[in-house]
Amino acid sequence: MTTKLETKALSAWFGRKQVLKGISIAFEEREVTALVGPSGCGKSTFIRCLNRMHELNPGGRVDGKVLLDGADIYGMDPMEVRRKIGMVFQKPNPFPNMSISDNVVAGIKLSGEKKKADLEGIAERALKSVGLYEEVKDDLRRSGASLSGGQQQRLCIARALAMEPEVILMDEPTSALDPASTSKIEELIRKLKSEITVIIITHNVSQAARISDKTAFLYLGELIEYGNTKEFFESPKSPITERYITGRFG
Amino acid sequence: MRIFGRRTKERLILSVLVLLTGVAIVPLFWIVGSIIWNGFSAISLEFLTSLPAPFGSSGGGIGNAILGTLLINCSASIFGIPVGILTGIYLSEYSSKGRLGSLVRIVVESLSGVPSIVIGLFAFTLIVMTVRHYTGIAATLALGLMMIPLVAKATEESMRVVSNDLREAAIALGIPKYNVAIRVVLSMAKSGVISGSLLAFARISGETAPLLFTSLFSFYWPTGIDQPIATLQVLIYNYAISGFADWVSKAWGASLLLVLIVLVINLVVRVLGKQKYVGV
Repeated sequence: MTTKLETKALSAWFGRKQVLKGISIAFEEREVTALVGPSGCGKSTFIRCLNRMHELNPGGRVDGKVLLDGADIYGMDPMEVRRKIGMVFQKPNPFPNMSISDNVVAGIKLSGEKKKADLEGIAERALKSVGLYEEVKDDLRRSGASLSGGQQQRLCIARALAMEPEVILMDEPTSALDPASTSKIEELIRKLKSEITVIIITHNVSQAARISDKTAFLYLGELIEYGNTKEFFESPKSPITERYITGRFG
Repeated sequence: MRIFGRRTKERLILSVLVLLTGVAIVPLFWIVGSIIWNGFSAISLEFLTSLPAPFGSSGGGIGNAILGTLLINCSASIFGIPVGILTGIYLSEYSSKGRLGSLVRIVVESLSGVPSIVIGLFAFTLIVMTVRHYTGIAATLALGLMMIPLVAKATEESMRVVSNDLREAAIALGIPKYNVAIRVVLSMAKSGVISGSLLAFARISGETAPLLFTSLFSFYWPTGIDQPIATLQVLIYNYAISGFADWVSKAWGASLLLVLIVLVINLVVRVLGKQKYVGV
């Protein structure tokens, strides 16, 4: 196993308020890592530091290092970083003014690079990889907003995959979805890890247990525990972790 | 002790409201009605397409003024709409930090408050005084300046209501900021921007004061934007106060045309406003 993405003493602030306190963690290549923790523990801020989205917040500040294949992303062009490290949000957010296929290739079309690409082929492959192609192949020209919530979320995953990222960050991607759509996306995540490193925030401890190889527990901006998912749930080392996974708080 | 019952009160308030609404609506119908009444008979093919007849003789038309108004409005739009849209994009997407944003906002607000006659005087001093003759270019500048704050505000407001989730989605794809602003946010705010631009066009169609200083008037077909150019607005002003019956009737006809232009634009804007997210 090789380390794909790694943080070293990563701290983050909103104005004067420190929300992450020196987090050091290494994510293995082609694994699914789940981030769990109570609301407000800094999970979202943490993954937003991994693709340089946190610094866009007014007052957002980051300290420490984030290494992608050993190179600090804070020394790279942020646009380049975001193309390598994709992101899927909690609420499905397809571009409502674009068709389904334009949504998928939006990142490529609008990236500002003048390269000729087989956009149709890319759209088809990305839609197939999220299992949406068969459902929408006859209305690729329809608005992306016309799909159901679960389909919209898979469309957003396809849109992120079309950029061929090396890592994909997911911020509670199923919390707005029904159980059937949730299980489709969980299945998709398990499939994705053969090619991509996945880091997923979840509020749902059993989801973390179902889909992840490793689990990290964040509490009040600190990394409390990180390890193989099986051990994490069967024999947590920290008493706080145990209280959290048994549902006594959070 | 209660003098009126609740029902009586309710009726009283309702009738006051109806009465006041009537006070607001009646003048509108009165104005439009008298313009149609007096103007309709003046309109004919000759009226729409030919040059004015010499003073004192009947006949002729206002073709040059119709063309002139369109010409000046369009050239003002070519200048005012892009500047307004760019200002709106700046205010909505780029100005959150720093003082420049609030400065631009104050300038735009102030510009929209400047009386049109002052803007006309500005164009007069800047251009007419320099080239020493009345010119459509000065009118273009004056009307274009009046369009900027209207278009900028409409653009800013319709871009601001675009959900932040979509901006984040675009940024997370590695799309550069200018494309997030233009190809994602502006493109979603399109119908609001188009409506705002059309309303600005309608608004300047009624402006007369800045034209008196700038394009003035001409009895001939416009030959270039750098010449004095006849417009419907100035024609109405000239003809209505001439005391010559044929010209007064033509002034009514020109008023009807102007009102129709503005009405059609407003209708188009209403239709556009109903469809959100038009096509791609």
